Amino acid sequence: MRRDDGGLEKRMQDRPSGFGNPWLQLTLSVICVFVSELLLKRGATDIAEPDSAWSWTGVNGLISPLVWWAILLIIASFISWLYVLRYIPLTIAFPLSRVVDILVPLGCWIFLGELISTLRWCGIALVVIGLALVAKPVAQIEERL
Amino acid sequence: MSFLAFFFIVVSLLSFIVAQLVLKRAMEFSAKNGLRNSRFISLISVGTALMTISFFLTLGLLQRFDLSYLYPFQGLSVIFITLMAALVLKEKLNFQLIVGALLISAGIVLVSIS
Repeated sequence: MRRDDGGLEKRMQDRPSGFGNPWLQLTLSVICVFVSELLLKRGATDIAEPDSAWSWTGVNGLISPLVWWAILLIIASFISWLYVLRYIPLTIAFPLSRVVDILVPLGCWIFLGELISTLRWCGIALVVIGLALVAKPVAQIEERL
Repeated sequence: MSFLAFFFIVVSLLSFIVAQLVLKRAMEFSAKNGLRNSRFISLISVGTALMTISFFLTLGLLQRFDLSYLYPFQGLSVIFITLMAALVLKEKLNFQLIVGALLISAGIVLVSIS
């Protein structure tokens, strides 16, 4: 972190602990997105009107209560995310936030009993390796602090 | 896939990517200059508006296509946002981060086509 990053590194050093910890907020944000994705798909399927031109805008989704729950979770994740952006570079925070892309299929497997094919397991493995690569420099930065 | 579907997928993806960059800039700005200034408020408003557009377009697309079909496009956002953060926001990018972002995107595509 040699480059001038607008005091980001300094802010990260002085970051709050406990509930204000940016890593905890990133985790909360990811969990909210994970649950909201499942709710949104359920809600969108419930009210699907593919024949209506208006439905391209998605506004008709607002009649589903599940969509409203999802919106609440998205707002919560959005606030956490804004907080995270204050402390963590986007090049690290955004790839890490995509851990949700393995949580969703794993959630379907664990909670809904859906089968995961070999190819899909390979995809999940790739995401895990990618996440490990992104997270490794973070671990090194944390060690130095 | 119709032209209309492709168009909405691209617009949804673009507005999401630009929103992330604008929001990051807003939060960087707020750390130095506080929350009560017109530049922060306008940046956060533009970012939120773009996120809202992207959200409703995705909701429209979800009514027509499987989540698994739309997911690879979300996977692309990892590559685009990582690159744009380095280019536009001048964030430090190293080889490890690039390979990590590429693997995450490839993994998301594999998960959705399987």
